[in-house]
Amino acid sequence: MKIKKILIANRGEIAVRIMSTARKMNILTVAVKTSAEPNAMYLSHADEIFDNTESESEIPVFLDIEKLISIALETASDALHPGYGFLAENAYFAQKCLDNGIIFIGPSPDAIYKMGNKTIARKLALKSDIPMAMGSEGNIANAEEAVSIAEKIGYPVIIKAASGGGGRGMRIVRKAEEMEKMFSIASKEAEIAFNDPSVFIEKYIENPKHIEFQILGDKHGNIIHLGERECSIQRKHQKLLEEAPSCALDPALRKKMGQMAVKIAKAVDYYSAGTVEYLLDSDRNFYFMEMNTRIQVEHPVTEIITGIDLIEQQIKIANGEKLSLSQDHVKLKGWAIECRINAEDVQAGFAPDPGKIEKLSLPSDKYIRIDTGIKEGSTIVSSYDSMIAKLIVSGRDRKEAIKNCKMALDKVWIKGTKTTLPFFRLLVRNHKFQEGSFTTAFIEKDLDRYYYNSEYEEMLAAWFTTKLFVEENLQDKNQGSDNGLKEEMSPWLLNKRITQF
Amino acid sequence: MNQKLKINKLYTLSSEKKKFVFNLPLKSSIRIGKRNYPVQLKSDEKFGPYILWKNRKYPVEIVRSRQNRYEILFNDISYTFTVETPFSMQRMKVLDSGKVKSGQETVKAPMPGKIIDVLVREGSAVLRGEPVVILEAMKMQNEIQSPVSGTVIKISAKPNTTVMKDDVLAEIKID
Repeated sequence: MKIKKILIANRGEIAVRIMSTARKMNILTVAVKTSAEPNAMYLSHADEIFDNTESESEIPVFLDIEKLISIALETASDALHPGYGFLAENAYFAQKCLDNGIIFIGPSPDAIYKMGNKTIARKLALKSDIPMAMGSEGNIANAEEAVSIAEKIGYPVIIKAASGGGGRGMRIVRKAEEMEKMFSIASKEAEIAFNDPSVFIEKYIENPKHIEFQILGDKHGNIIHLGERECSIQRKHQKLLEEAPSCALDPALRKKMGQMAVKIAKAVDYYSAGTVEYLLDSDRNFYFMEMNTRIQVEHPVTEIITGIDLIEQQIKIANGEKLSLSQDHVKLKGWAIECRINAEDVQAGFAPDPGKIEKLSLPSDKYIRIDTGIKEGSTIVSSYDSMIAKLIVSGRDRKEAIKNCKMALDKVWIKGTKTTLPFFRLLVRNHKFQEGSFTTAFIEKDLDRYYYNSEYEEMLAAWFTTKLFVEENLQDKNQGSDNGLKEEMSPWLLNKRITQF
Repeated sequence: MNQKLKINKLYTLSSEKKKFVFNLPLKSSIRIGKRNYPVQLKSDEKFGPYILWKNRKYPVEIVRSRQNRYEILFNDISYTFTVETPFSMQRMKVLDSGKVKSGQETVKAPMPGKIIDVLVREGSAVLRGEPVVILEAMKMQNEIQSPVSGTVIKISAKPNTTVMKDDVLAEIKID
């Protein structure tokens, strides 16, 4: 068994990321061209393009199991990489690939299913003696049952969707009176989002840190961990910045949490790359939250501090190869920070701001890595996520990484949409962030605004506005320009008139 | 009468009522303390329009404009300004003197968008944080909340109309 050609069942930066490693390994790649993004950058990285632009299907191709299988067969791809999102954690899809003789670059369908169902995952974790927040044994049938459990474990509790993830179908309940309402909201939300209304409850951990462990397992029963990632900087359960390692862990705690992560992975005979997510409370107790059975958006920070190419490992494992590393070989070196630069308006509650990227200039330096699927002229379409690029910055230690990050952020130049850059510029200057004492409540509780501007920027903005007003209203249009700028400005002034209302 | 001959300065007002005064003709420098720092508006193929200030380039973009009102992006941050001449400034002061009452607060649109629903009526009592208007922006429905507790005295927002950032949606008399 040897993988020679991989169908990339994904788009954007992760498609580019997978293809670059495949190229390095002399493996051919197939990308799918869609009508939503017929000129997307990832297409230019593929050896072969399957044109799906004529498709009249209602379902986006990256969610269309039958279609993807038929594309894989038609293009004679012997393997498929799902990336993240879309069908990456769909057990049925993984099984369908295997049934059709296509190697699914990810874990077994059984492991995806068990970890995807939170009540099953909880039971497995309990059986393996993994620390967990107290909660219901399985799903709960109604609000009364939830109240009786909550009275045993104590408020606050959190209601979670059994098939959930990403914050949907979750509600915090602080007293019994709220239970009925919250139970019904969470259950309805879960039904809409995951087609499964079942929920369970857990003790709610106040102001925790979100710490996750990267694990790698092969098909021969070997499982190791590659240390942790700190993902506490999140807003409404959406991660914004991740780093590796975490300053909240010391070697002893890292060893313990890592061993537990390996143990839970072993409970499902896990192979491929996976992530075990924990909550860490202020007394440094940790609780198993869930396991993600895919490559994660934030995988590069782990790659930087370990020197391991996780996509390469995934492909080798899918190929049936044994892990060439043992736990003792894994050494964490330096510090890495990833900023998710998204097309979002931080001044309007991080609302997506899709649009055409008019200008794009990204910095390059030995301490900078950029993972992107966007080039100048690309359009961020509202049908997909709003990611423009991942800015990954490293340093010898956290202090240096933050310093480098601050410099790098000022060198990113994006025009056409608003971005999360002003948020990161604020974050790297925030004392609590620099200190490392933040929790998942940081953005909601510790920040009174979400962007940074230096002392004179508003004045410069006022000068620019005044300049526009003068050019438009006070200059004699017939006499032409007296400052040599008119000519250069005309195209975008014209553009502005079009958008005028 | 040629009005532009009389205009010797412009007042550029931020949405937070910060006032920036620029003498005309507009200089290509900004005075900070005792020093003048050159500032230039430039544009090139690689970066598009930008402001050059203290050896650093800052991206600028025009988001939208209506008459003397501009929403611009400067270094990835939105600002809304109105540019007033000494005449319009004077007129505004006269108009404002009868209007601005203490003990009143306005509910403003935090972003441009479309009014989907108005949830209160003139005369309604509202609590701080209570939603007043549903504003749709970037496909998301946002509840615009009252900044204070009080009584709604005027509603300017109308369903199915578009508003610009900082347009007044309602006025609340503080209890």
